[in-house]
Amino acid sequence: MDDLIAKYSTPQDDFFDEDENSVHFQSTKPSLDLKFSLPPISQPTAFLRAATDDHANPECPIKIAHGTTTLAFRFQGGIIVATDSRATAGSWIASQTVKKVIEINDKMLGTMAGGAADCQYWLNYLGIECRLHELRHKRRISVAAASKILSNLVYSYKGMGLSMGTMMAGVTALEGPALYYIDSDGTRLSGNLFCVGSGQTFAYGVLDREYDYNLSVEDALALGSRSILAATHRDAYSGGSINLYHVKEEGWTKHGFTDTNPVFWKTKLEKGEFSNVATDF
Amino acid sequence: MRGVTVLKEEDDKTRTLNPHTLMAFSGEAGDTVQFAEYIQANVQLYGMRNNSKWQLSPSAVASFVRRELAKSLRSRKPYYVNLLIGGFDTNTNEPHLYWLDYLAASARTPYSAHGYAQYYCLSILDKHHNPNITLEEGQKLLRMCHEELVKRLPIDYKGLLVKVIRADGITELEL
Amino acid sequence: MSNPFSINGGAVVAMVGKDCVAIACDLRLGMQALTVSNDFPKIFNYGDVYLGLTGLATDVTTVSEMFRYKVNMYRLREERDIEPETMANLVSSSLYEKRFGPYFVSPVIAGINPHSQKPFVCGFDSIGCIDFAKDFIVSGTASDQLFGTCESLWEPDMEPEDLFETISQAMLNSVDRDALSGWGAHVYVITKDKVVKRLLKGRQD
Repeated sequence: MDDLIAKYSTPQDDFFDEDENSVHFQSTKPSLDLKFSLPPISQPTAFLRAATDDHANPECPIKIAHGTTTLAFRFQGGIIVATDSRATAGSWIASQTVKKVIEINDKMLGTMAGGAADCQYWLNYLGIECRLHELRHKRRISVAAASKILSNLVYSYKGMGLSMGTMMAGVTALEGPALYYIDSDGTRLSGNLFCVGSGQTFAYGVLDREYDYNLSVEDALALGSRSILAATHRDAYSGGSINLYHVKEEGWTKHGFTDTNPVFWKTKLEKGEFSNVATDF
Repeated sequence: MRGVTVLKEEDDKTRTLNPHTLMAFSGEAGDTVQFAEYIQANVQLYGMRNNSKWQLSPSAVASFVRRELAKSLRSRKPYYVNLLIGGFDTNTNEPHLYWLDYLAASARTPYSAHGYAQYYCLSILDKHHNPNITLEEGQKLLRMCHEELVKRLPIDYKGLLVKVIRADGITELEL
Repeated sequence: MSNPFSINGGAVVAMVGKDCVAIACDLRLGMQALTVSNDFPKIFNYGDVYLGLTGLATDVTTVSEMFRYKVNMYRLREERDIEPETMANLVSSSLYEKRFGPYFVSPVIAGINPHSQKPFVCGFDSIGCIDFAKDFIVSGTASDQLFGTCESLWEPDMEPEDLFETISQAMLNSVDRDALSGWGAHVYVITKDKVVKRLLKGRQD
């Protein structure tokens, strides 16, 4: 059998770690001795930055999907999580239907801002870790612990170009409704209200003015949705649809993935908001 | 501001161009006041030459200011000034507001801001503004914007100076 | 993003039909990611000629005002309106005058020649090279997308109604894939004795 494999497989390119494939099967936890293959040059991080960081180099050849508005806030009825759904690569709108809320399990949600691939990969990885925790300890992981796993993980890659700003929201018997902010710098904060992404300031503007811990569920959902709408209107890199979730003690419920276009015109025409948009000459 | 020091707490960053037009400015220290006072002098000169009854309308002032800024943009040393021009057109009884940045891009808008304030306040104004608000509602709106900036900006900008332009002229207002 | 052509954002497209032309622009004025105004039209009228300008907003205004002056002077001297073909040469030579410090604009001309009744469209680069076309011209931050939609939607000899539908769909679907343009659009459909101007309600995100 080994002979057969040897006969039909091409010799390993020494660009890559020789045991790249075998490592994969040994553990789900990425050992910090670099599971990821790196370019064979002296400064891989500098190379990556030159090729992908469009802030440092607008002409960079690889445009990573960016640009987002995400928000989450705690209130008496649980936690509201809302996001837009646009992915941009430079000024090109790569998608209008991105799912930026990641359902880690039926009681916990994560949001995506920054590098789309980074968030998707590591929150999926976190989902696996959380499930393993359940199996190992026969109880659900706390939001505090889950967010700590993620923050320690991204911190171990600090300086290597990971880009993510994420929020984790969940309800556990131990903590009640809990909300954490984690980013690729290694910051991890608990709090009542966070907005993350290029449109964060616009969402904060609307949200801060009307936020109240004692908001009713209906009002809280409306405020979350309206704050995302505000950001999609003013921020070129946010848009698409409004993805709305409510996290309660029983777990989270989804409140739609709604195209902003009809919502915008309804808000404008029925409530008289957005008076800056002309409807005639 | 100079370096890390606040030099003056109540600096008036506006100039009255004519009885019904006011210009607010921000940008590079030195450039701002020099440019604003150059504009002020020229708009006032126009008023003197044409029998002070005939003043430039807000749209004419904005057009003139934009032109001067655009000329400066392609000079050896451009002015780095961002502007908001507010005016009350006494002929049509219409209020005007113009947004101009240092590149001399100009737009007439119902509400505007410059700098970081744009990022926090425009979404608030999108939600709470409508063209028919009263002065009191306008003040309330400004207070909302102010509160948001105090809450989210990492600097203390020492409060706001508010001026109102009406048919009977420009007055300062306590917020 | 320090490219002067993509600071403010914007898109313009012009199309030829059967004895008619159409020209459309978006309405956004931005500062990088921030949308500052949703009412910044980029099409300007000079008698029989329509000029669309995308690029740096300050130059869009400056150049449009410059041509208003030049076309008015032409009208006074010649005692007639300027023709689209003449305008094309005026635009070209005016832009080349600034060869070593150009206006950062990509102009588009659309119009019907008042004598020959022939539809005319053309485009320019920022220093005045004329691009004559018998089908369509695109410009702005959504020009890649506009090339795509126009190549697939445009066909020869469209009537004004079809031309309006085509140019509107081309415009709206293109700017919906560009972060820096959109927020509504203006469309002009020009026939020999009538010009119809319409406001398109585009997505506001």
